Amino acid sequence: MADSALKAINITKFFHDPVDMPVLKNINLDVHKGEFVSIVGKSGCGKSTLLYVLSTMDTDYQGSLEINGVLATGKSLNDLARIRNASIGFVFQFHYLLPDFTCLKNVMIPGLRLGKYSNKEVEARAYEKLKMFGVEDQALKNANKLSGGQQQRVAIARALINDPTIIMGDEPTGNLDSKNTEIVFDLFQKLSKEFGQTIVTVTHDEDFAQRSDRIIEMADGEILMHHHKNK
Amino acid sequence: MKISVNTEIALTYLTSRKKQTVVASMGVMFGISMFIFMQSLMKGTNDYFEKMSFTNTPHIRLYSENKVADAHMLTSFLTDNSTKILTNPKQLKQTQGLSNPYGIINQILKNAQVDAVTPQVTANVIYTSGSVQLTGNVAGVNINEEDKMFDVQGNMVKGNLHDLKRVNNSILIGKGLADKLSLHVGDNITVRSGVGSPVVLRVIGIFATTVKQIDETKSYVNIIQAQNLMGKDRSYVTDIKINLKNYNNAPQVARELETISGYKAEDWVQANEQLKAAFKIRAIILNSVIGVLLLVAGFGIYNILNMTIYEKIKEIAILKAQGFSGPAVTSIFLQQAIYIGLMGGLVGIMVGFGITYMVSRIYIGAGTLKYLPMSFYIPHYIEAITFGVLTTIAAGFFPARKASKVDPVNIIRG
Repeated sequence: MADSALKAINITKFFHDPVDMPVLKNINLDVHKGEFVSIVGKSGCGKSTLLYVLSTMDTDYQGSLEINGVLATGKSLNDLARIRNASIGFVFQFHYLLPDFTCLKNVMIPGLRLGKYSNKEVEARAYEKLKMFGVEDQALKNANKLSGGQQQRVAIARALINDPTIIMGDEPTGNLDSKNTEIVFDLFQKLSKEFGQTIVTVTHDEDFAQRSDRIIEMADGEILMHHHKNK
Repeated sequence: MKISVNTEIALTYLTSRKKQTVVASMGVMFGISMFIFMQSLMKGTNDYFEKMSFTNTPHIRLYSENKVADAHMLTSFLTDNSTKILTNPKQLKQTQGLSNPYGIINQILKNAQVDAVTPQVTANVIYTSGSVQLTGNVAGVNINEEDKMFDVQGNMVKGNLHDLKRVNNSILIGKGLADKLSLHVGDNITVRSGVGSPVVLRVIGIFATTVKQIDETKSYVNIIQAQNLMGKDRSYVTDIKINLKNYNNAPQVARELETISGYKAEDWVQANEQLKAAFKIRAIILNSVIGVLLLVAGFGIYNILNMTIYEKIKEIAILKAQGFSGPAVTSIFLQQAIYIGLMGGLVGIMVGFGITYMVSRIYIGAGTLKYLPMSFYIPHYIEAITFGVLTTIAAGFFPARKASKVDPVNIIRG
């Protein structure tokens, strides 16, 4: 069995408002390094909530979470921020680029934050990522001047700048047309196959889910079943 | 130099909202420039009044005070063991002025803090011209020394003050007195003291201070003339006037001189208590006005940063999702406040200097005060920028802390 990238043990979460209501019930989940996992389910089944718990942004849960074999539960917010910065890349349904900055700067910011490379190196790496998604010619434009598909590609480039071991997507293709969806899917697949990066996405897109390594189907805060794709 | 990513984001936010940034720093600028202007005006005015008070008052005046009679003469006369009590004791007149005044002056000159010393004979007199009589006082002085210490020349309206030494039986009178007695340079005036006979003196000059009461009563004569007027000999001196190198030391030096000479030494602080009170009141008024100005500027920054944070709450959430910690977010927004403060402060210093300079060129023309007294005092400028930056830090702190507490999950999920 390959090394575990994400391990959730007995995760339970309640929404407290207006009344205590369980949204996640005893979730146990193990994602290996390099695996491409899709989480599917109806609206309100808790799949996004699970993703945010796995992402370390949501700390209000019971149970424990390990990232790359390190226990994340109980760490300080600042430590978790450092873990996210170094090991997790995010892609959201909406691109959430910073409109005051150029695309290049948007991609560079998490890299500058990490401070592992010099500014020059981060810039070179950012160009490289933009090139991977075919938007390097937009690099010096402000982020709000791009089309939706281009923005989403820049956002994915940003998620990859620190070579995170885990990439998380909250409906990353939800706002994209089929052509752009195809590009994004191919890239995700390439990342998991060639670079061994773990990918966890929440999606409504049946096609997208069908082509991933594993589909986790959720309902009412529980995992119904795991569909492993035959290799 | 490597600019940290927090600084880079802070600067980008500031430059992408140029109008807001300019408005916020203008608030600080107004506060700072008013701070400088008002401080300069106050210090200038205070210095001016202090200087003015020294045109009439020396830093220290040594004189012989009348003493209340006590029983010590009685005790030495009646040598029995009884206790002597004086009922209803009266003031004893010290007719001889200071004894050995030039000995005292030599003693005083040995004090390293003393800058200048001059003896004076003061006499209360009645001025007569024609049928009009006015009371006043004559100061018998060495006019060269007097001019050095009190800038008599600066107050001269007509005539030459040095004639006081050159012309026998000469007198220098105030402008008010000259007007009331209708006297001009070259006219005669009769002066009579309480003792001695009347003397006719020639007006050789007219002076005007800003104090009406002085102009209407005071006159200068040569010290020998004053001694004659009082019917006294050449060693008769009523006051010794002392100027110090640093007038702030006057109270302490006055106490020393009292001990040495045994006479009363009055320093300028005691002589001008109303001046000191006025300084204090002005300082309070000024500081409250400046406080309000900076407070308003601070609220301006607070508001603008708060608005920025509401506007950018999604971006803050994204930054946090990408691994920006709470302190990093605080730093981004606090830096914006500091840059606004520094910018407003630097421009404010220049504007403050400009206003101060311009106002110092406004013609007032009241008495000897031709232009508004303004001081250009470097510490004011340092204080101003320090207060400005401190205000912006205080104003930026709360919005920045709020930004650092943004919960990315709530914001991103909507």
